[in-house]
Amino acid sequence: MALTLTCPICGERNGYEFRYGGEEKGPRPEEDGLTPEKWVEYVHMNECKAGVQEEWWFHRDGCGSWFKTFRDTTTNLEQKQEG
Amino acid sequence: MFLKKKPMWGEKKKLKSSYDVVLIGGGLHSLATAYYLAKDHGITDVAIIEKNYIGYGGAGRNTAIVRANQRTQYNVPLYNEALKLWPVLTKDLDYNLMFNNCGNLNLMHSEAAMKAARMTIATAQFHGVESHLIDAKEAKELVPALNISEDITFPIHGAMFHPPGGVVRHDAVVWGLAKGAAKLGVEIHQQTEATGINTQNGRITGVVTDKGTISCKQCLVSAGGYSAALINGFLGIKLPISVLTIQAMVTQPIKPLLDHVVSSGAYHCYANQTLKGEIATGAHMDQWPNYTTLNTAHYIKHQAEALSEFLPALRGLRFMRIWGGLADMTPDMAPIMDGNDQYEGFFMDCGWGYFGFKSCSAVGKHMAAFMATNECPEILKPFNLKRYQEHKLMGETAALVNYTPDN
Ligand SMILES: Cc1cc2nc3c(=O)[nH]c(=O)nc-3n(C[C@H](O)[C@H](O)[C@H](O)COP(=O)(O)OP(=O)(O)OC[C@H]3O[C@@H](n4cnc5c(N)ncnc54)[C@H](O)[C@@H]3O)c2cc1C
Ligand SMILES: [Zn+2]
Repeated sequence: MALTLTCPICGERNGYEFRYGGEEKGPRPEEDGLTPEKWVEYVHMNECKAGVQEEWWFHRDGCGSWFKTFRDTTTNLEQKQEG
Repeated sequence: MFLKKKPMWGEKKKLKSSYDVVLIGGGLHSLATAYYLAKDHGITDVAIIEKNYIGYGGAGRNTAIVRANQRTQYNVPLYNEALKLWPVLTKDLDYNLMFNNCGNLNLMHSEAAMKAARMTIATAQFHGVESHLIDAKEAKELVPALNISEDITFPIHGAMFHPPGGVVRHDAVVWGLAKGAAKLGVEIHQQTEATGINTQNGRITGVVTDKGTISCKQCLVSAGGYSAALINGFLGIKLPISVLTIQAMVTQPIKPLLDHVVSSGAYHCYANQTLKGEIATGAHMDQWPNYTTLNTAHYIKHQAEALSEFLPALRGLRFMRIWGGLADMTPDMAPIMDGNDQYEGFFMDCGWGYFGFKSCSAVGKHMAAFMATNECPEILKPFNLKRYQEHKLMGETAALVNYTPDN
């Protein structure tokens, strides 16, 4: 199904202008005391939520911004967060 | 005559409160595992729990292509065994699976691609799988409808020709395995949703469903594209999976034109002609994870453009049916098969992306052996979940696929 995303700079644009950048996983783990378990969790593991998830996007064919948004993976509808 | 009440896989039974083994998901992998648990190991106190109906998922939506020309030494023997099992299963199940080993032609559109094909072919030949490199002229001789002229977007340099591959009727595999498993005592519970897995002291103790809780010693999650969300939701185990919709479509039927499966990585398009005469064709996956299973105008147009370039005889044909399903992709394009690691008695078989049909026969056999003996068969060992943290990703893809933030 088609997708419209809201770039913080360009506003609402066709989803095919963007590249998906993965689930939001918080900050990159500290190097100190980093274990393979923690690293693989950050690099590869996903929740694969069927529902609203927070995720990264890159406005590839636009202004080049990286930004986070919320999208329902079962409908492809972006969820506007109030406030 | 056609509307017999009793389904082919036996009378509807009442869900018991306990089974030795519970399999979550009524797709090919659960059905095959159940069949072999009963047939090879005499384990028949088995329930398949299916939320919708068997074949609702990828099992009934795939484009039915089978082949054994993968890229790595771990994958080729597994798929080769699966390929060889179709005629055996047809006999054993007494069910016509309509295996048509018409051969696969994988088009190459650059010298770099030809080089990569040489390596893949060498791997296949090393494992005794028939696969050859042919040039554009030879490809045209095999498939006269091919456009080998130089004035298309991706001119054809040659092809990887894999004669033993082809297509199998996917619905027949679902029904045949269900019938075979049920005959041996396996219970198939449709319209029953798994909602949780119970554990105690690091062991599986049962499966919670919307029809009640079932206690069991072993449980397998092989719920196709839904597996990753279920496993995370039930047990908090995250997997290196992205779930994407993958689309397919068929044209109106035409007279015999294609007698091979033709695929092209550069065009992101593959096609074969069904026995009914339709051109069945599939595309790449959506570019972002989603569970919609809906088609997009974007891909229908893409498919029409690609086909009319490399198979120009198809220009003007109409698409008659379109559909979508889920592909659960891992970063190394190889599945995850594991058991007794995170929890005693917990098994998983997922991450099959768009290759879970061609593998199901052999995987069912080996997963059944794994569950019956609690010993992981050698052939499955490299596919465990730990490989990601040990950085032993498989080289099924030369570069990571395009849905991760890394490329
Ligand atoms: C369009 C398309 C084309 C494809 N083409 C090919 C191909 O040419 N060759 C190939 O090898 N592979 C192909 N595949 C991939 C293949 O179909 C899948 O990898 C495979 O079917 C998945 O395994 P499965 O059959 O065991 O699971 P599925 O059939 O996906 O079964 C999963 C089942 O789990 C059930 N379920 C979900 N949640 C629950 C729950 N909570 N409780 C109980 N049950 C639940 C669902 O209802 C579903 O029936 C394709 C897939 C698609 C979508
Ligand atoms: Zn922008």
